[in-house]
Amino acid sequence: MINSSTILIKQGRQRRFRKWLVINILLAALAVALCMAMLLLGNTIYPISEVFQVLMGERIPGAYFAVNTIRLPRMMAGLFAGLAFGMGGHIFQTMLRNPLANPDVLGITTGSSAAALFSILIFQTSNTVVSLASVIAGLVTVLLIYLLSSGSHFSIGRLILIGIGIQAALSAVISYLLMVGSQQDLPAALRWLSGSLNGAKMETLLPLICTVVIFAPLLIVLGKQLDILELGEESALSLGLSTNKIRLILILSAVLMIAFATATTGPIAFVAFLSGPIAKRLVGTGFSNVLPAGLIGINLVLGADLIGQFAFEVRYPVGIITGLVGAPYLLYLLIRMNRKGYL
Amino acid sequence: MKSTHKLQTEQIVAGYDSKKILHGIDVVIPNNQINVIIGPNACGKSTLLKTMARLIKPITGDVILDGKSIHKIPPKKLARVLGVLPQSPIAPEGISVADLVGRGRFPHQSLLSGWSEKDYQAVEEAMDMMGITELANRQLDELSGGQRQRVWIAMALAQQTDILFLDEPTTFLDITYQVEILDLLTDLNRKYGTTIVMVLHDINLAARYADYIFALRKGELIAEGRPSEIITDELIKEIFELDCTVIEDPVSKSPMIVPRGRFHVFS
Repeated sequence: MINSSTILIKQGRQRRFRKWLVINILLAALAVALCMAMLLLGNTIYPISEVFQVLMGERIPGAYFAVNTIRLPRMMAGLFAGLAFGMGGHIFQTMLRNPLANPDVLGITTGSSAAALFSILIFQTSNTVVSLASVIAGLVTVLLIYLLSSGSHFSIGRLILIGIGIQAALSAVISYLLMVGSQQDLPAALRWLSGSLNGAKMETLLPLICTVVIFAPLLIVLGKQLDILELGEESALSLGLSTNKIRLILILSAVLMIAFATATTGPIAFVAFLSGPIAKRLVGTGFSNVLPAGLIGINLVLGADLIGQFAFEVRYPVGIITGLVGAPYLLYLLIRMNRKGYL
Repeated sequence: MKSTHKLQTEQIVAGYDSKKILHGIDVVIPNNQINVIIGPNACGKSTLLKTMARLIKPITGDVILDGKSIHKIPPKKLARVLGVLPQSPIAPEGISVADLVGRGRFPHQSLLSGWSEKDYQAVEEAMDMMGITELANRQLDELSGGQRQRVWIAMALAQQTDILFLDEPTTFLDITYQVEILDLLTDLNRKYGTTIVMVLHDINLAARYADYIFALRKGELIAEGRPSEIITDELIKEIFELDCTVIEDPVSKSPMIVPRGRFHVFS
């Protein structure tokens, strides 16, 4: 049965799908270009052919060290952390139907940072322990927010306010730790205040890469379930979604990705916050935005790191640049939500 | 197409936070009928609807579909039989009408599949029935309240269930749209034999459109039956504590209540 209304519905849907596809391809192409730039640019600019030869495993003097030991790990750290922050943030924002409900504002990344600083400054522990502590702290923070906000009736507004409170408390803990920490440990500690890709090493990247390789595809597959969850608890239940189960899987996957990313690069400000809304602005709402949000996360981190490295006299860590972009956006969002009466 | 499902409740006690709202309700939902639950505010009519529609788990008692507890039926399978339009459904910002209606197809789709021909057909039928086909590619945010309500009903229709629950589908709407929505639901019931269970605030509209009425008060079922059999001065007095005269609706011949307040009473 083909008639004009079928065509109207089909055409609209296909048009929205093409838009989704084209934007994903463009975002992926931009990400590839930025990855290339991360490998090519630096104190010495090696020819593309040499960079490729190094990537293939040839030991070309000079280029081998710069590309393989410094630039490649830096690029990989940005790539996987960006994807993790972008996707994880989008999951939270969509599930809770509020762009403010993201790991930055809720204090999940602050929890990871505080735990990392605690291990570095108080216990002077090794990298592995620091990472482990920050991942556990991320999970504990989520649990704490959840327990404190699950009263008689669940309210997203209350959850966000409690998250902001926890974030403030953890920031105070961070300030305190910096006061009491010894001078020699401070440089190592500072990267936990604003995220940085400096000093990324392949060995330390492994946990993050594994987490992303496992959970990113899972989240992409569950994109449809996420979109049903976005319709609210009652609609989701009546459409046959096992809401509690799906919510648990989504939260755990998102928190693990974000916690491992924070453990690797520190909290790269606002990437988890910006990626989802940018994806929505670009693509619209008809198809799952999990993948585009992840791609935008990559582009934000790599783009900001390139700007931080090369645009100024001084090299700034990536988190400073994303913070500069993100803070005005947070204000803009608050003003817009206030006007619409969401706050 | 006549549905042959049997939905009934067994001694439902339900409520929030141990504050009981329903005190043991036993009902059998008549098939292929428009069923309306009426009662004053806070009598538990919405709670009863939500419990039957598995949005709330009863504290004790159970809801039985075809001899089986609805909480033991796989959720997706159940969602192909029971559809629900909640009182205030939430739409994602910026979603198009067709995409939202299409989300009603979720229980018919597998994990990774896109829209099949069947999905397109169901979406088109639902939108056609609600008269919103031309709005397919518009954004929901741009529509009026009446149009938006028709989109939500279309989403529930796309789910293609034999039983459809609606929690006050006419609230917040002008009288014109209230009548329009109830007419459309009657179309649905006549055309597909869909069993409709809904909560309505307006007793006169309920008496006109319902085949069968359940009257609740303080969490207990006071009366049930055809409107012409049960809507009387005494019942309204008992349920709503309101003096009134029941006359015949000149348009539909159904019972119609005319309230008596303290003023403007001549006879």
